[in-house]
Amino acid sequence: MFTIFLLSIFALSSHAADLAVSVKERLVQPEVLRGDFEQNKQVSGFKKPLVSRGDFLVARDSGVLWRTQTPFASTLKLSRDEIVAKQEGAVTFRLSASKEPSVRMINGLLFSLMNGDVSSLGELFKIEGSVSGKAWQLTLTPRQAALGKIMRKIELSGDQFVRRILLDEASGDQTLIRLSAQNTEPAKLSKDERIRFE
Amino acid sequence: MSVSVLSNQASIRLLAKIWLVIVLGFIGHNIYLWSGHLQLDTDILAMLPQDERDPTVQNATRQLSDSAAKRVVVVIGGQNWESALAATDAYAAILKNSKLPLNLRYKIGDESAWLSFFIPYRNQLLSAAQRQQLASSSIDQLAQGAVAALYQPGIGMPRFGEWQDDPLNLLGAWLGERAAESKVRIRDGRLSLMSSSSSGEAFYILLTLEQQDSAFSIKAQQALIPVLDAAKAAALQTQPQIEVLSVGVPLHAAAAASQAEREVHTIGIGSMVGIVLLTVFAFSAIRPRILVTLSIAIGLLAAISVCSLLFGRLHLITLVFGASLVGVAENYGSNYFSSRQGRPAAERWTMLKAQAPVMWLAMLTTAIGYLLLALTPFPGLRQIAVFSATGLLAAFVTVMWWFPLFDKGEMKHTRLSNWIGTRRALWPHLGCNRLTLLFAIVVATVLLAGGLAIKSNDDVRLLQSSPPALIAQQIKVSQLLDLPSPAQFYLIRGASIESVLQQEEALKAKLVPLIAKGSISGYQAISDWVPSAAQQTKNQALIKSVVFGQQGVLAKAGSALGESLTPSFKPSQPLIIADWLAAPVSEPLRHQWLGRFENGYASVILLRGVSKPVQLAELAALAPGVAGVRWVDKVAEVSTVMGRYRVLMAWVIALSYLLVFAALSYRFGKQAWRALLPTLLASTLALAILALLGQPLQLFNILALLLILGMGVDYGIFLLENPDRHATRPFLSVTLAAASTLLAFGLLALSATPALHAFGLTMLLGIGFSWLLTPAFMP
Repeated sequence: MFTIFLLSIFALSSHAADLAVSVKERLVQPEVLRGDFEQNKQVSGFKKPLVSRGDFLVARDSGVLWRTQTPFASTLKLSRDEIVAKQEGAVTFRLSASKEPSVRMINGLLFSLMNGDVSSLGELFKIEGSVSGKAWQLTLTPRQAALGKIMRKIELSGDQFVRRILLDEASGDQTLIRLSAQNTEPAKLSKDERIRFE
Repeated sequence: MSVSVLSNQASIRLLAKIWLVIVLGFIGHNIYLWSGHLQLDTDILAMLPQDERDPTVQNATRQLSDSAAKRVVVVIGGQNWESALAATDAYAAILKNSKLPLNLRYKIGDESAWLSFFIPYRNQLLSAAQRQQLASSSIDQLAQGAVAALYQPGIGMPRFGEWQDDPLNLLGAWLGERAAESKVRIRDGRLSLMSSSSSGEAFYILLTLEQQDSAFSIKAQQALIPVLDAAKAAALQTQPQIEVLSVGVPLHAAAAASQAEREVHTIGIGSMVGIVLLTVFAFSAIRPRILVTLSIAIGLLAAISVCSLLFGRLHLITLVFGASLVGVAENYGSNYFSSRQGRPAAERWTMLKAQAPVMWLAMLTTAIGYLLLALTPFPGLRQIAVFSATGLLAAFVTVMWWFPLFDKGEMKHTRLSNWIGTRRALWPHLGCNRLTLLFAIVVATVLLAGGLAIKSNDDVRLLQSSPPALIAQQIKVSQLLDLPSPAQFYLIRGASIESVLQQEEALKAKLVPLIAKGSISGYQAISDWVPSAAQQTKNQALIKSVVFGQQGVLAKAGSALGESLTPSFKPSQPLIIADWLAAPVSEPLRHQWLGRFENGYASVILLRGVSKPVQLAELAALAPGVAGVRWVDKVAEVSTVMGRYRVLMAWVIALSYLLVFAALSYRFGKQAWRALLPTLLASTLALAILALLGQPLQLFNILALLLILGMGVDYGIFLLENPDRHATRPFLSVTLAAASTLLAFGLLALSATPALHAFGLTMLLGIGFSWLLTPAFMP
């Protein structure tokens, strides 16, 4: 009667950990956050890392927009109800929440990571880390074996913004993302930005 | 006293002794049965005829429904995840603590093992959409896409193994497509479900429980209900806002059993009270009351004994219907005492000897009615018929052989019995008079109007009598889970497993356009999970050339990335159905594989989003186009069978009228019509009035006509035997019989089971008219 689920290994829970709370206190929680990224991905079996650059936009009401500019122009849009990847204007991947209920959870997770709002990850991850002055760093290790088979650990660090995300996957792939040039003004999405979300 | 009376007396005494031995046997057997050995059926469909044209469909349906017969699914929902979780934990705790033999499935372990089951077969598994994509895109396009995807954050389907094992992540996408067939996901180790509507979001958690008893038992099903209620109460106590929905065959069965229990009590006790009151007022003495009750009790014991010996199990509906036997079996006892009343005790032997032929005739005409019911192919009706005929015969024999032995005292006429008996004289006489003309006009008008209003309806769903609350929960859960319809499906048969899977694939190709135009929303097929070996070979060849070929996706992506990637393609053994069935991942669909079936193998494809009759016709039309495929629409088939038997039974009834008329002519000669015509009129009037009341004509109305014939004619026989308007005994006997029959079937008309309701109502009208009309037709 019931088919298995796949993506719920990303499921969210909402039990707060003290450490996560004190990290949250240090972070600004803007309506809209813009910035640039540099992604450095080491794929297992590849000699060279894959480096890509672009910008990102996190809007509390609309979702996350990840725009890669080099070496290929592509966009990844995560809104409440779907995930859409585009390349040269053509959709290469689309997953909607009506077909795949986990979409909302994935998007929630990604939103949390980008915003440093990790207080909701306590049940899924064991959270360790430290805080010194404005700076903080966290290491998330999966509590459940199932998630552990996909993700070894996640490292996050930053100050009032998340500056560095390291995803250490069980396959051996490692992705290091550096976020920079964050700004929160204007506090609302511009008309142009709104269109990009549609 | 003459010699013949003496010898009659002696033979009755002997018969009474023999009967005592048999009755003791019935009592012993009943004690055995009721101490837990009685097997009861509750499913209304078990009453209905098997589709004699196709046992295959029957087997397939049975195999499909057997898998669901013991399972209950509980869905607990709340406004947020935490409250649903807390409520479900409380619910599960109660179930765990109960002493019932239940398999509770609640917390789900490591699900990644389910997924990794498919990894060895990754190069053989492709969906139709994926094949389409691989075949229609250029290798350059595919390679570019794969490289670009590498630069994106790892969002999307999980990837299994290294990138060069599957650069297009075909396995992840294939599993994603499989997962999309269900809305159920695992969250915090629970099967969960999310729904959003205008009123907000709701979070649901599923738990399933399966009864472990190997035997189908109503007791076990009924024992489940209080535990589920307690669990629900505990869940609601933790979280007052949550919603608890439970569905499953055992719940319906338990509800049917409780309803039947209530009805057996109402009908049985109601009839009993009525009979006691009647005998109290009509016969004043206590003896007739005890003896009549004794005859009914023996009738019921005999009926239960014989039925369970003959059929092995009893249907609940038989018992409910059997409760109305109380009112019919009473006839013989009250007939005996109507004749006995006002005579000295010593005359009872002569009286009985004189009455015997008429009483046997009356019993036989009723038994003919029941036995013709037994000739129908309806398992349920056969039981009812055997039950009733046995019960009547036993009650009748008790009256004939035991009553004279116990009935020694005086019996005076009572005021009520005199009053009833003398009412006979007030009946108008039909002949060449104005009243007859008026009567004829009224009857003709009613018959004409009724005949014009009559509509038949054989929809088997009319027979459903599950409580509305259960049905509402069923509908809600089906919508939440987007479950495929269980009532219609494709049955796929083949000589080998491979041919079944290939035929499934051929059929699925024909279903794709129907999904595209929205006729159905989807299907659920085994071959989606385990493609045929032929398909797996094709898939492997396609992946080998497109992805791992010399100029394939991996090679091109490698040169674009400046990496030398070694193709890791390894041909592997095909995925076979036995391995899949043995793995936990097959659990949700396993029941659709029917396995060895008749001379080959069979499977079932279920459909989602079927609701309109137009779609059914469209779906049925596909089946003949693919070898080995049959469209099965259980609802429609049963309804068709019901309709066919409605017509057939109408002919049987016409035939029985002829038979009864022959029997009557043998005894009454040219006057025979006077005993039969009132019953014929009563039956047609009953149908006409039901039609005017807007009741659809169905098989169960027709079947009632058979019994109306059997009983109504008795009234004619008793009155025609002694047609004197001033003879009180025959009319007293007929009236007492009619009163208790009306009471029994009147109570049956209150039944919540639609079939019994239709039957009872028709009987009520038909018997009422028979009693009313018969005296007017006497010479």
